Parts: sequence; structure tokens; C-alpha cells
Amino acid sequence: MTPPSWNVIGKPIPQVGSRQKVTGEALYTDDLRIPGTLVGKILRSPHASARIVRLDVSAALALPGVHAIVTGKDAPRPFGVLPISKDEPSMGIDRVRYVGEPVAGIAADDEWIAMEAMKLIHVEYLPTKPIDDAKQALAEVANAADKIHPGTKFGNNLHKMVEQHFGDLPKAFSESFHVAKGHFEYAGISHTFTEPMSAVAHFDRDGRLHIWSATQVPHYLHRAMSEVLGLPMSRIRVIRPNVGGGFGGKSDPFPHEMIASLLTMRCRRPVRITFDREEVFISHHGRHPSEIDVAVGCDKNGRLTGLDIDALIDGGAYGSFGVVTSYYNGVLAQGPYRIDNFKYRGRRAYTNKPMSGAMRGHGAVNTRYALELLFDECAEKVGIDPAEMRIQNALPAYTTTINDFRITSNGVVECIEKVRDASGWKDKRGKLPFGHGIGLACSFYISGSALPIHRTRTPQSTVHIKIDMDGGVTVHSMAAEIGQGSDTVLAQCVAEILGLDVSWIRVKTEDSDLAPIDLGSYSSRVTFMMGNAAIKAAENIREQLRKAACRMAGGEPTDWVFRDAKVINTVDPSKSMTYMEALDEALADNGALIASGWYQSPKLGGAYKGAGAGLSPTYSFGAYITELHVDTETGFVHLDKIWAAHDCGRALNPLAVKSQIIGCVHMGLGQVLMEQWDFNHRSKGNIRNPSLLDYPMLTAKEMPPVDVFIVESDDKEGPFGAKEAGEGPLLPILPSVGNAIYDAIGVRMRELPITPASILRALEAKKKGKS
Amino acid sequence: MSQPPKEVIKFEVNGRTVEVAVRPYDVLLDVLRNELDLIGTKRGCDQGSCGCCAIHMDGRPVLSCLTLAKWAAGKKITTIEGLANPEPHPLQTAFETCGATQCGFCTPGFIMSAKALLDRNAEPDEATIKEHISGNVCRCTGYLQIVEAVQKASEELLEKDRPHDASVVERNRQTHPAGR
Amino acid sequence: MILPPFTLHEPKTVDEAVALKTKFGKDADFVAGGTDLLCNYKYEINAKPHVISLGTVTELKSFDTTRIGAGALLDDVMTDSGMRRDLPVIPAAIGVISSHLLRQTGTVGGNLMVDTRCFWFNQSKFWRDSISGCLKSEGDACRVVWGAKECVAVYSGDLAPVLITLGASVTIAGPKGRRVVPLGEFYEHDGIKRHVLGEGELLVEIRIPTEARTWKASYRKLRTRESFDFPVLGVAVAAKVDGDLLLDAHVNLGAVHTTPLSRDGAISQFIGKRIDEATASEIGEAVADGLVIHNNTAMTPAYRRKMVAVFTKRCFLDVTGKRAVAETASR
Repeated sequence: MTPPSWNVIGKPIPQVGSRQKVTGEALYTDDLRIPGTLVGKILRSPHASARIVRLDVSAALALPGVHAIVTGKDAPRPFGVLPISKDEPSMGIDRVRYVGEPVAGIAADDEWIAMEAMKLIHVEYLPTKPIDDAKQALAEVANAADKIHPGTKFGNNLHKMVEQHFGDLPKAFSESFHVAKGHFEYAGISHTFTEPMSAVAHFDRDGRLHIWSATQVPHYLHRAMSEVLGLPMSRIRVIRPNVGGGFGGKSDPFPHEMIASLLTMRCRRPVRITFDREEVFISHHGRHPSEIDVAVGCDKNGRLTGLDIDALIDGGAYGSFGVVTSYYNGVLAQGPYRIDNFKYRGRRAYTNKPMSGAMRGHGAVNTRYALELLFDECAEKVGIDPAEMRIQNALPAYTTTINDFRITSNGVVECIEKVRDASGWKDKRGKLPFGHGIGLACSFYISGSALPIHRTRTPQSTVHIKIDMDGGVTVHSMAAEIGQGSDTVLAQCVAEILGLDVSWIRVKTEDSDLAPIDLGSYSSRVTFMMGNAAIKAAENIREQLRKAACRMAGGEPTDWVFRDAKVINTVDPSKSMTYMEALDEALADNGALIASGWYQSPKLGGAYKGAGAGLSPTYSFGAYITELHVDTETGFVHLDKIWAAHDCGRALNPLAVKSQIIGCVHMGLGQVLMEQWDFNHRSKGNIRNPSLLDYPMLTAKEMPPVDVFIVESDDKEGPFGAKEAGEGPLLPILPSVGNAIYDAIGVRMRELPITPASILRALEAKKKGKS
Repeated sequence: MSQPPKEVIKFEVNGRTVEVAVRPYDVLLDVLRNELDLIGTKRGCDQGSCGCCAIHMDGRPVLSCLTLAKWAAGKKITTIEGLANPEPHPLQTAFETCGATQCGFCTPGFIMSAKALLDRNAEPDEATIKEHISGNVCRCTGYLQIVEAVQKASEELLEKDRPHDASVVERNRQTHPAGR
Repeated sequence: MILPPFTLHEPKTVDEAVALKTKFGKDADFVAGGTDLLCNYKYEINAKPHVISLGTVTELKSFDTTRIGAGALLDDVMTDSGMRRDLPVIPAAIGVISSHLLRQTGTVGGNLMVDTRCFWFNQSKFWRDSISGCLKSEGDACRVVWGAKECVAVYSGDLAPVLITLGASVTIAGPKGRRVVPLGEFYEHDGIKRHVLGEGELLVEIRIPTEARTWKASYRKLRTRESFDFPVLGVAVAAKVDGDLLLDAHVNLGAVHTTPLSRDGAISQFIGKRIDEATASEIGEAVADGLVIHNNTAMTPAYRRKMVAVFTKRCFLDVTGKRAVAETASR
């Protein structure tokens, strides 16, 4: 089809707000300067597991310049982003469960005094034996009180167990030509956004609590604060300033937000808590350290017969998003290939570590790596080109998976073809000299979780528009701009409908007093849901302008089109008028134009337990190819080039989509080649590398060239046909590297990160196996 | 422990002379942000491992988190706020149009590193650009569009420096009236 | 993060600096660029109440190809045309020190004096307290080697191995005047003691013999990323060669021991031989043989030992012209 001719949609316009960012004027939470602001600091547990025997803050409180100190007892009600696992206290109450868990909060005149006060807080701990990893957490615990969370239903330290079975997997495997199996291990990794978390809380003289916080989920923060602090939501105002990256790491309500609030409620002065980098690592809720066993069967023609996944993930001390992760490790492997027989067991364990949670590509990334490597093994056994076999197995568009996911638009085959042809795949795969390789992998990801986190009938995203006599279009939404460009999407959607350019649009998405609810920036939901809500609101406004145009010039409402700030009569162009003229008429006897639009996901999915996990109104697809070479003496992997194709339905802003894809490549390369949350049994529950020096993210020098291909499958329910482009593009990069390494040196790396040392070990093992 | 007294130091920042009382162990980053409200300079790691706090000191790009404030005495400091004059520097607009900024937190540091490079080398190749921005980390963009933006700004600046014939200058003036 | 309080001294001359250090003794640290010391101070690692800043001591800043003032900025030395012409291995090695930004204020002397590093030590006060510290910080036990009496923190500078193989010496100023020490004898075992500097003494300059220009030299650095990262292995080789005939050679390893580690003893048998891939491999194996590497930095000891052999081989191929001398001293 020919793409419709749009004026704003599909144009690579710079990000809304980018001028402030490049000139240094953009305000992030720590940049706010509210007179009288105190410095808040958090005293943290040095023990991974301990009882708090005594906690005495009196000496610290007596220090001049200290204005308030709060402890766990001041806010005993636990919270958590998921209503089903509200298990985290603002501060440890009678016990602490990880190194770095908050124990007390201090508000003082300056950092120096706060640090001095911290030394004066007396805490007596009784250390208990910590649980170091998920396997250890599986051991039965005789006395429930000795569990990390005594209240859980399991007799060990498991937090969540998920089991699903569709079709008849044992039969399918027994009849398969080949079943590729593997045990895969993954280090935990961190989001490593550049802006440390920060929150400023101010309990004003009217008894209202204002919080400015670097958060992806202002609404969930709003709810959690209300519960923990015992204030009605109406007395809390959440403001989200510019956020310096999130990637899932700012998508929970956090203790420091509660602590800053408790402190300001105590002393009625604004309190700022900004983390240092180590605190960011302690609080990050990164990707779960995981062990995943996967088996993939195929018939002799390369048709997939079944998929078995068993995932054990290390959740750390608290729930966070972990219940969702427990599902996603399995259910998000339902695409892009048709799987008729499927079995999944997912287990999440509590351990005495900082918690894991949601990170870009939530739950899907690690399983995807295993699945795509085993897929290649099947292709090799069958003797078929892996690209060809992927095309053969691709889910069609507009179908339903065995676990009742509704698939709509699907551009995966086009993605595969694009990267295959551009990369010279057919001339390279299996034909490059030893040490050089090329690998392919695909992706499948939700474009917004169809279910909100909490039970509600309120729409998932609402957008308000107001236009007054100056003609500027004010758009309100609580959708969280975290750098991904959601404000730009919002502006473009409204501008397109009203026939204006984006300079007319004023996006206001910071303040919960002004903006209607959007559930936040997680699960790649914003473009799809907020975009649809924005279109609806803008169409309502356009209708009002149309009627005004008819009143002024006659004609039918259907006669008018809106473009270039004009309201054009397509039947009689002489009746055309400017946008401002139509607006003037519309405002008469009416006052400012207002409109509201909302999005609610359709009812989807099956009736079985856990059917809601992974449901999305639509899914994104993709395919990447990586070419690399391995220094077989050192084990270093050198990336030559990436070809990245992603089906985002429609690129509302190709520049932003390209940025997302390249950014995903960067982040995924980090996980596959170097990043790890380094725990050592001797480090007593400490992360060994809580700094940007020791936790390595790729620098510009490691980043290979990336050719980006945007595939537009035009989703029927997406805003202008759009789907997500923020998380799905991360998935294929890891296994495309893994498959390329196999092509280069003949070993399938089953442990991430793939370090130079592990490459050498694998090469040696291969050599021994042969001799 | 007690704190030693503050001492007034004088330096030039973004073309204006300032006098500010600092402690001997204050780092320049804190003084810029907290005393002078120059919040465009960011604190990402406080340990020299992210580059978010890069500024220029006597024309050299330096990490303000590892620079004692007292070392700035008598020096010329430029921060991100000093680049737009008042129209944005070509690097700044190139970062916008190339999609080289997403969350924007690392952006001031990258622009300061890139500006120092272009001041030294008007026409850097890709490897040189990567070298000069490799003291800065960005978690959003994957760097490629940042490199592109530096290249674009370099071309624009070279173009600007080339002698124009008067008619071209006049035509440009007409098609791009100030203030747009 | 705020730095722990200190009094800052800004002497104008070497004599003033030495006098201050003599006066305050163990209560004072010198600081040049600050890129190492201030990081450690932010973590409250062995911070002192007096800090003597060397940025105002002009004598330390100048350099040419025979002497480098300890205060010469890494970036200035790296980009110096004379240096690139006469001693290209030095700019190459500087080019892989930390990051471009850090090299703007980091100094040559600072890199020679860079503190030893260890996972259990280069952590915040909070972190160290939670493991009750270590020998080099607040504790009384080594976290790396059970029961060790001496600190095994790793020497992590890039320049010292290179300069040692080039035969450099250092001038040290002290209360009793100046003395010159071969750089190879400057470092001393124990991750805490580190070097021979005595009370009040200051590293003033590095002297490089003119003969070094006639030697071929190579430096290769092992690390995860091409920026920021300290070496987890650095191999420096300088050789007098006639084509592929090895007339004389020095090998020095960084980041595998508490000091730069000379391996000249391991290669004497190869002097006078022609270097091809096979002999270079043998040299590599000989240099790696018997090395004890501790598990206290980013990559495992077994892997780093293997890389000693590989990198040494590559360095010998570099200096005998079998491989182009790396523009940057990478891997």
C-alpha cells in the first residue's frame, strides 16, 4: 500500500524538548532549586541478612543542622509496584534483607551534616546466614520465620512459580526429528541510565505533599505513596521532571521516594535525596540473574514441533516486577514462530541481594537468546538455511497463538528478508574464514501490556487538549517522557490531526495536578496507548473546529481537511480559512476548546490461570544480523557490522525509531559481551562492581556500525499504524551475536556475558571433544 | 571533624567573572551546580567514569567532578550554558537534528567534548571523533548518531568559515531571517 | 559525594612542595591531576588532612624527549610531535590510559604513582565497612589471599612498564636534595608500600636515555573496553633488533603484580636468536611461566596468565617488524 500522505507523522523531526537538553537548560530532578531544600541521606544496611536488634537515632537527631530522622517504624506498610507482591518496606523494620537496604533517613542542612549524622545512628544487627543465589533458595527451610519472607506459601525461599502446558509436548518431542536442548546461564545486569535516581519531596503548609521524582511510573508512585504515607491521593502531587533514562530501572516506586516524603512530612522543609552511583546499583532492579533450560524440537523439514522452557530466576530480596518476569520468561517465546506444543515452568527465588525487576525487553531477553541459538542448532541438524527456516516457521499476520495471544500485523518475514539481503548473508554464512562469522536472530515483543497492573476500569491512558484564543494547543498527559521521545509522539499525533506543525503544540506531561492518568513508561505501551488517546482527543477538537467552519462558511463537516494551519474546503476551496479563523469562530460563545481522549485495551486472551501475562493489543517483530570476528588467541569478539530490521507498524518519527534501535543494539551488546552484576560469595552480598568504571557499558569505540531498516506493517489498531520500537529491538542483538560466534568458531556460548576467557574455554573444550 | 574555612576565589565562567567562596575540598562540579546554578553540567558518577560533568577549563575539556574548585582560580571556564551565544552552536542543533540526544543527561558532556575537538581539529575523521567522545558514556543512543552530529557540525562550521560571495550571504539572510 | 575535608597547599616550587610534605609527613598526600587520588578520596580511601597540589609547580610541567616533568599532562605528551617521532611507544601507551577526558588533567607522574588496585579495596567506605575492610584500608585481613601478611593490590599504571623497558630513571627530590633512581628500582613489593619514596620525597621527572630511540618498542594492554578501564594486564617490550635478529630486549608486565614486573630473566635465552612466530610464542610462554596472579581485578588470573604469553608474543612480533607497530597499544 502507499503510505498516506501525512505532514507531521513519519517525519524525522527533532525531539520535543531537545533544544533545552542541548543547551543545558533542561531541568532534571536534582537540578531543581527550591529555597530551603534540605539534603536527605539514607543509612543503609551493611548486612545481607540480619535482624535489627536496636536502632537508636537520638544522638544523630541531636546534631545541630539535623532536621528529621525517620526509620522503618515510621512507615510500616510495605509497598511494591505489583499489587500481588507488596513486600518491600520503606526501610528495614525488624530485619534487613540485602546489603544496602535502607534503615534510616536523615534530613540535614547539608550533605556534610547528614553524613556526620549517619555515623551517629546506632544500629545493632544480629546477622543471619544469607541466601546467595536462586539454587540455594530452593532448599527447604524448616522454620518459616527463617525464610526471607516468612509469609510466602512455599516451604523454601521461592517467591513465585508458574506452570503452563499447551498441546502435547512429550508426544511432539518424541516424534521430532531433532530436539535441541541447552542449559543457559545469565548474569544479572543493570539499566545503567546516566541520571542517578533523585527525588525532592515537599509537604507544604496546606498539608499537601509534592514530590518531584525521576520516575517512569508517576501514577504507580502516586498510588504507592498514598498507601505508605496514609495520605489520600488528592493530597499528593507527583511531578516528573526530565528523566535521564530509565529502561525499567525507574519503573517501581522506591524507598527513597517514601523516605524523602516521610522526612518532609516530619520537618515541613523540602527534602532532596539524590543517589550516588553505588546507590543506583543497589537500587536498580535490573535484569534477573537467570538459569534457563530450553528445548526446541523440529521435524525433518525444519518445522518447529514444540518448545520447553524451565526458568529459575534470582529475584533478590523483594518482589518488584518479579511475578511478571516469572511469566514473561516463558510466554514471550510464543512468537515470532508458530509453536503448537509448549510447556513452561518459571520460578522466581528470593535471595539476599538487591532486587531484580523490569529491564528493557523485560523477561523476554534471556529466553530469546536460548531459543534463537537452539533454533540455529535445529536448522543445522536439518540442513536448512536458518534464515529460510525462520521464514518457514514465522507466525502469519492476524492469527492466534496456542496460548491465545492475538497476533495482528506482523512484518517478521520482511525483517528477515531485509537483513538477509542487505548483509550478503547467502554469500557469507558458513563461508567466511575461521574466526569470522555471521548470525541471525528474530524478536517478538509486546506493544503495551493489555492489562493494567492493578484492577481498574479507568482507561490506561487519557489525553486532554485545551486550545484558547492564542491558538496554541496544550496537551496534557501523564505519560512519562524518559528520553524515549513520548512527548514528541504526543505532539506529532495531535499536530497531524489538527493540521498544524509541532511548534503549535505544548506538551504538558509532568504534573499530576494537571495531566490525566497514563499508567507510565513500561511494557512499551506509551506510543500505542497514549498515541491512540491523543488521536481521539485531537479528533474531538477537530470536530469542534469543523463545525465552526461550517457555521462560518457553510458546507458539510466532511468537506474540510486540516493542513498547514489551514482549514481547507475540498469542495469549494474559496471557503477555506486559516486555522486561527476557524478557531476564533469555535471559541465564540463557547470559550476555550477542550477535549479528552482515552485508550483502553480490548478484552483479549484465554481463560486459563496466568492468561493475562504477555497479552498485548499488538506485538512488534524484528530480525537482526551480526557480522563479527573472534580473535582466537585472546577470545575477544570484534563486531564488524549489524543489520537491524524492526517492524514498528509505522515509524511516527523515523529519527526516534532509529535512535531506539541503535540504542537497543548498544545495550544488548553490553549484556551479551561484557556487562554483569558481579556477585562473589566472598563479597558478603555486595555487588563487586557498583561503579561505572567496573560495570562496563560499551563506549563509542566498541560500537559497530548499524544499518537500520524500519519495517512498517501498518497495525490496524495502532496510532497511524504504529507499534512499539523501544524494547523489542533489544531482543535479537544478543542471539545474533551468539549465532555469529557459532558461525565463526563453531561453539555455542551458553553463558552470558560471553567473556574472552569463556570463548577460549569453549574453544579448548571443542578441541578436546574432537581429539 | 571540623570543616576548614571557605576562601573566595575568582574565575571567569562563560565570559563573566565570578567570585565565589569555596572550601579547599570542594570540587568544581559542586560549585558550578550549587553556588552558580549552572545545572547544565551533570553529575552522573562523580568518579570520572561517565563524562556527564565535562566542561572546558582554559579551552581544555576536563572532568569537573575530579577538579578541585580552587584549581579554577584565575582560569576561564566554559560550561554548556556558555555555548549558545545566544543562538545555539552548530553542535547543539546537530545533536537535535541527528537524534543524538534522547534522555539528554549525558548530552552536555558530549557536546563539551565534541566542542573541544572541533576547536582543535576542524575536520576530524570518524575514529578521531570516537576517540574524543570515548570519555563520555551514553546509555540511550548507542553513540552512532552522536558521531554523525559531530560530523555534521564540523561540516557546517567549515562551510561558515569559507569565504562567501556577497550574494550568497544576502540570500541566506533573506531565507533565514533572524528569529524565524 | 563530598570529599573528606583537607587543607589544600599550593606550593610554587619543588622545594616548597618537599618542605610541606616533610612537615606533614603521613598526614599529607601530593595531588597532581587528581584523577586517581580524588576518586579514592571520594570513597574515603586513606584520605589525609593535608593535600599538596602540584599544579602550581611550574618546574614539573615541561618535557622533551629526554626528560618528562612529572607534572606534564598526558594529553600534551601524547600529542607532542617530537615524542611521536622519537619515542612513539610513549604516546601509544598514553593513548590507552583511561579516557580522553581523563588524560586532559592526568599527568605522567600521576600515572607512575597511580595507587595499586583491588576489587576489595577500590570501593566506597560503606562497601568496605560491610566486609570489615582489608589490609590496605581499615581492616586487618587480606580479602584476596587467605592469611596474607602483605597486600597484593595490583600495580595498574600503563606507563611504568613501558618506561622501564626503555631504561628510564626518575629524579626524586627530598629534604636532603635530589637523587636519581632507575625506574625499574622505583617500585617495591607490597600493595601498600608501593615504592621507594621516603619521607618528604617527591617524584620530579622521568629521564629517558637517548639510546632508547634506537630501540623498537611495543605496549599491549588487556582490558574489557577501549576506554576508561585500567589494565588487567600490560605488556611492554623494548628490543634492540637487526631485522628479526634479537640483539637485546626488556620485558615488563603491568597489572599482574603489586609492582611493574620485569621478566628480563625469563627471556635471556632468546637474545641472539631470530624472531619468528614460533620463537615469539616460546618467549611468550617463558614470560608467562611461573607467574602468580591473584584474583582481584576484572579478569580471571588463569586468563590473564594466558594473555601474558599471547601479548608478549605479539609484542615481540611488533618489535621485529612482523606486525605493524600498533598505532594504539591495544591488545
